[in-house]
Amino acid sequence: MEQKKQTYQPRTLETNLPFSWKRLFFQWEWMLLLILVAVLLLGSYVSPYFLNYPSLRDGTMVFLDKALIVFPMAMIMIMRDIDISVGSTVALSSVVMATLYTSAGLPMEVAIIACLATGAICGLINGLLIVKFKELSAVIVTLGTMILYRGIAYIILEDQAAGGFPEWFGFFGWGYVFGIPFLLIVFAALALLFGIVLHKTTFGRKVFAIGNNPTASRFSGIKVDKVKVIVFMLAGLLAAVTAIFLTSRMGSTRPNIATMYELDIIAMAALGGVSTAGGKGRVLGVVIAVFIIGYLQYGLGLINLPSQMFLIIVGALLILSVAIPKLGGMMKRK
Amino acid sequence: MTYEYVLEMKGISKAFPGVKALNDMQFQLKKGEIHALMGENGAGKSTFIKIITGVHQPTEGEMLLLGEKVSFQNPKQAQQQGIAAIYQHVTSYPDLSVTENIFMNHEIRHQVWKTLNWREMHKQARQLLRELGSSLDPKAQMNTLSVAQQQIVEIAKAISTKAKIIIMDEPTAALTARESEELYRITEKLRDEGTSIIFISHRFEDMYRLASRVTVLRDSNYIGTWDVEDISNEKLIVAMVGREINQIFPDKKTSAGDTVLEVKNLSKLGEFDDISFSIRSGEILGMTGLVGAGRTEVCQAIFGINTFDKGEILLSGSSIRNKNPQAAMNNGIGYLAEDRLDQGLLVDWSIEKNITLANLSDLSSFTWIHRDKEKRQAKEFGEKVHIKATSIFDSVNSLSGGNQQKVAVAKLLTKDLKVILLDEPTKGVDIGAKAAIYEIVQQLAEVGYAVLFVSSEMPEILGMSDRILVMKEGRVAADFVNRGITQEMILEAAMGEEQVQEKSG
Repeated sequence: MEQKKQTYQPRTLETNLPFSWKRLFFQWEWMLLLILVAVLLLGSYVSPYFLNYPSLRDGTMVFLDKALIVFPMAMIMIMRDIDISVGSTVALSSVVMATLYTSAGLPMEVAIIACLATGAICGLINGLLIVKFKELSAVIVTLGTMILYRGIAYIILEDQAAGGFPEWFGFFGWGYVFGIPFLLIVFAALALLFGIVLHKTTFGRKVFAIGNNPTASRFSGIKVDKVKVIVFMLAGLLAAVTAIFLTSRMGSTRPNIATMYELDIIAMAALGGVSTAGGKGRVLGVVIAVFIIGYLQYGLGLINLPSQMFLIIVGALLILSVAIPKLGGMMKRK
Repeated sequence: MTYEYVLEMKGISKAFPGVKALNDMQFQLKKGEIHALMGENGAGKSTFIKIITGVHQPTEGEMLLLGEKVSFQNPKQAQQQGIAAIYQHVTSYPDLSVTENIFMNHEIRHQVWKTLNWREMHKQARQLLRELGSSLDPKAQMNTLSVAQQQIVEIAKAISTKAKIIIMDEPTAALTARESEELYRITEKLRDEGTSIIFISHRFEDMYRLASRVTVLRDSNYIGTWDVEDISNEKLIVAMVGREINQIFPDKKTSAGDTVLEVKNLSKLGEFDDISFSIRSGEILGMTGLVGAGRTEVCQAIFGINTFDKGEILLSGSSIRNKNPQAAMNNGIGYLAEDRLDQGLLVDWSIEKNITLANLSDLSSFTWIHRDKEKRQAKEFGEKVHIKATSIFDSVNSLSGGNQQKVAVAKLLTKDLKVILLDEPTKGVDIGAKAAIYEIVQQLAEVGYAVLFVSSEMPEILGMSDRILVMKEGRVAADFVNRGITQEMILEAAMGEEQVQEKSG
């Protein structure tokens, strides 16, 4: 009996991966870089004004304000959720800020804080609704709040414009620090911050875990609902930051600003490699995708192509970005 | 054409890329016979069924139906030839009515109008159910019925398709003793009317009660077919697992210490009632009972996933109430979930990230994760439980069931726990990995953990436990010290006396 008893050879588990060229280059980000280069080359080919620094810089500003929201949106999508109310949140936060300053006569600083608070509260409401009513999907909840927030913005401002902000407020939209647009600095800082949070901290790890398997995450002691509410709040907060930059750049606001922002933002995240099935995505890819979509839009504007054309191209890119990893998998199986 | 067997399989094999799922299967089914099919999980039973029902096509061998060679390209062809299958997890349409479920895909239509003839279908449904001794309302919605009632509907459906062969895949697993009895009766009735039945079950009592012959599979291979009268329990186990079962349990050398976990009068309406037990440090408390007896619910209430209405949980003498799993783990209670793929692991992730998931706060400062610390911990605990893999970066997907379970155990060990609740830790793992898990459980007890070992399998409950708690319908039916306890005594407590006597008599 004794010799039959199982004995285990001591097994060691490797903790270093050998270097592999395949792993280094077989990444979606390289593909995105190629697409970006292609877009830039194409742009300079069709229009001599494309690669000219001042115009490129101004073109960048146009899409970079909404791109601030792409970071929390990536987190939300990694957790298998979606938030289509962010455009409405931008509008509502902006309208609240403008009304408090122009009609209520509050100092602009207070109005800005109120703007941020409005955005955060909108996000908080989304998050709470989604975790409390688990049978409702995030699409439905945020579709509801998308209409709701926009509606409130219309009630406050009644389809009018509000503006006349103090001069210093223009800094957000038009200001430069050492010759670099302030918005670009904020974008880069946020990219770095979200990159660190998502890829290096326990919070980011939990976000990925939830996206991969929410039940197992809960069983492993992760407070899934808490993480979700925080991330939705972040999306609302960043929408409010976008509202500040956008309102500053335009000099006035209306309840219909930032319409369809959510689609561009979701497209940026998805093209950047955030898996629509959840659990996957990297900030670097998302950043490259922001510039691809942004410059595509800018370039097409320069050569006076109708905006519908842009939609067609972004749609095709999106489908391609979702299909290519699948194609790879299919080929592997054969 | 005359034929000896309703269904005959000669040398059927099925290979998937990289795996041989079934090898040289031999099978003969007589008319009006109940034939038991037994084997461990992963022995090839489901592949075998899928070949009969046309889901898979065999790579080798031939299949004879009523003496004629057949090959099914899809499930529909098998169905048309009179083969029906009833599964443990009923695959019906839960939101539709009983009648709709019975006549799905072979609806009765008006002679003239070609519209659905609901009156006729309801009438026939009622008739079919009555023949099975059931007074179910054909208009009732499927998901308002119990599992047992749903199975009766599935059987009625099989009869309505004029099935000659009915395959029942673990039909009793989710049934109470009384419901099982009802199913036995119906099954015997079908047999007497000439239907041939392939009955798959892990329960020996099902086989002894119903079947006249039994076929055993092991590791994708055909082992043999015996008359039920001629085979003993021991012989059958050897056939199923390839060696005698008592060799795989580690020797006990534990002496229990102080009481660690004490559960007092724990109750939750509709789930469990007045549960009391205690576990001492170094002790393994086995918890068994039929599926649905409330074992998982009790574990999850202790772990803070479920709530409870009444009662108290004491840890080392002081009362605790775990609001969520995190609180439970911080209190020193860990839970190994029964459904390891859905609740225990992130299967797309590496071994490393799975092991460290519950313990991230210890591996980080100001939430920044120290990768080198993380790797070290993953290696340490992965090796402690003998995970068979090359590196800590291997994905959990690529591991066998047993090794996946070891990853889940390693994750628990990273926490500073006093109590470990193991919910069916050996479910769906092969026999070698089972032995390894037993060894780990025994080691946990030796280093002083209080272990709750939940299992439906009698041999492992008897082989592992110091004491045995038997649950029945949400209550503690018996609390044994594991000395001189037999399977019959446990079954008696789990099912109620009258049924066991019937079986042994």
